[in-house]
Amino acid sequence: MAAITRDEVIKRVGRGDKLERIDLKGLDLSKAKLVKGSFERADLDGANLEAADLSQASMRRATLREAYLVGANLAGVNLENADLEGAKLERANLAGANLTRANLEGANLTNANLAGAQLSYAQLAGAKLGRANLANAVMTHAELDEAYLGAVAAPGARLNNTSLAGANLEEAKLAGAILDEATLSRANARGVDFTRTSLVKTNLSGADLTNADLTGADLRYATFARAQLAGARLTGAKAAGLIGTGLPLGAGAVEVIWLDLSPAGDGSQRVENGVLPAVLMTGAVAASAPPGGESRRRYFGRGDVLRNAALQFDAGAQIEIDSLFQDCTIQLGDDTELVIGPSGVLADCEIVGAGNVTIHGKFFEKKSPGIVGLRELHVSGKGAVVAAVTQNPERTRFEFETGCQLRVKIVPTGAPTDKR
Amino acid sequence: MNDKNALTGKHTLVEEGTELTGTIKSSVPIVVMGKIEGDIAGPEIRVAATGVVAGNVKVQRLRSEGELAGVVEAEAVQISGRVRDRTVIRARTLEMTVTSQGMEVQFGACELQVGDEPNKAAAIAAATAAAATPPDAVRKPDETSRKRGTQPPPLG
Repeated sequence: MAAITRDEVIKRVGRGDKLERIDLKGLDLSKAKLVKGSFERADLDGANLEAADLSQASMRRATLREAYLVGANLAGVNLENADLEGAKLERANLAGANLTRANLEGANLTNANLAGAQLSYAQLAGAKLGRANLANAVMTHAELDEAYLGAVAAPGARLNNTSLAGANLEEAKLAGAILDEATLSRANARGVDFTRTSLVKTNLSGADLTNADLTGADLRYATFARAQLAGARLTGAKAAGLIGTGLPLGAGAVEVIWLDLSPAGDGSQRVENGVLPAVLMTGAVAASAPPGGESRRRYFGRGDVLRNAALQFDAGAQIEIDSLFQDCTIQLGDDTELVIGPSGVLADCEIVGAGNVTIHGKFFEKKSPGIVGLRELHVSGKGAVVAAVTQNPERTRFEFETGCQLRVKIVPTGAPTDKR
Repeated sequence: MNDKNALTGKHTLVEEGTELTGTIKSSVPIVVMGKIEGDIAGPEIRVAATGVVAGNVKVQRLRSEGELAGVVEAEAVQISGRVRDRTVIRARTLEMTVTSQGMEVQFGACELQVGDEPNKAAAIAAATAAAATPPDAVRKPDETSRKRGTQPPPLG
């Protein structure tokens, strides 16, 4: 039960009173004029604010769980740290709003206008943002796992370090947006417009990029392991250090005339024609190897434990693992040497890239194929491997010693992988 | 493989140029320089570089420098030739190396089931126990067990 009536709220806002920490739970404030109202820490859970005018209102740390804000004008509102879990915000105008660290989990923002809004560190897991306007919005470090962003318009938006794992971005317009170091693993990015989008170090593992337009995109050091690229357009993309799909591309499946492999992304190392499928399948890490090619050694000792990590080792690196790795992705550059020592256990992991791997310990894949594109795989007499192995386009060289334990499916390049 | 002279005792020989379709059950080793298609059972089968074996193979020991296809069940398997698509190899032990002539094993889409099924839970438990062991109890990594790759930095 709300502490005061609808008329009293409108009257007090009109007077410029502060309604901080007030209980307005479940109150009907539909179509109310509440411009510049002060509702900091107010409780508006379940309130009806349909078509209300809350533009320029101050609502920091307010709770609006399951509130009904369809068609509301929230332009320039300050909702920093507000709790909007499950709120209905369809067609709401949130242009220029401050939603930094707001909780919008499961909120419905279909067709909402979020142009220029601040959403850094906002929680938007499972939120519905279909056809929303996110032009120039700032969403750095926001969490959007499993969110629906179908057909959103987000030109110039800043999505660095956002987590979009399993999100649906079908037909989204992200031209010129910045998604550096974002996670789009398993995302549905079919038909997305990524033209000139910055995707530096972005994780696109397992993403569906069918018919996506990546023309001129900056894909340096991005990971495409198991990504689907059928019908994608990639001409002019910057691809130095890119980790390839490890999957067959299919004849004519990708539209690409040239790629830029220069580490600086300045167009000085264009590659064309025959090289392109190899770059997209097995990666372009070699192109980003440091001058001089000096090798770097890494040792992960016995007793160490590493979980949920993505590790990338450039061409020429030498790595030995005697530790426990769980849920890790290891990306190897060309001719990188990886040795899993006798004490090493890689559980629920994947190894991707044109490296050479020796296994004295144990490797268990998480998803099939768990080993993609290796040049050499050597399993010693003490080694054990449970994985599907997709071969390198030039065929992986296998060596198995007597005594090894194997549950291995070998998939040649060009064959579809078996989903376990 | 020194094909004909590889076995000094009695053996069944399928010569180069011979193609055999059907079931072969032998109490002596089989040497295949030609082609066999069908079910094969015996103590041992040796497939020469010119040989092709396709079908269900049940033997104690299999050694192949030629081409294999089908389902192979054996105690010990040694391969240095080609393995065709849809081949399954079930073995207690498998040795697969580059031949003395530098030929590499070429795989189609195939499945290898070798030795006991690796136990993930036990492996994680052992590695976790190692993590709980005080650092001074951790032994120095066994240098001799490494065939290639990096050497760890000296401890201490």
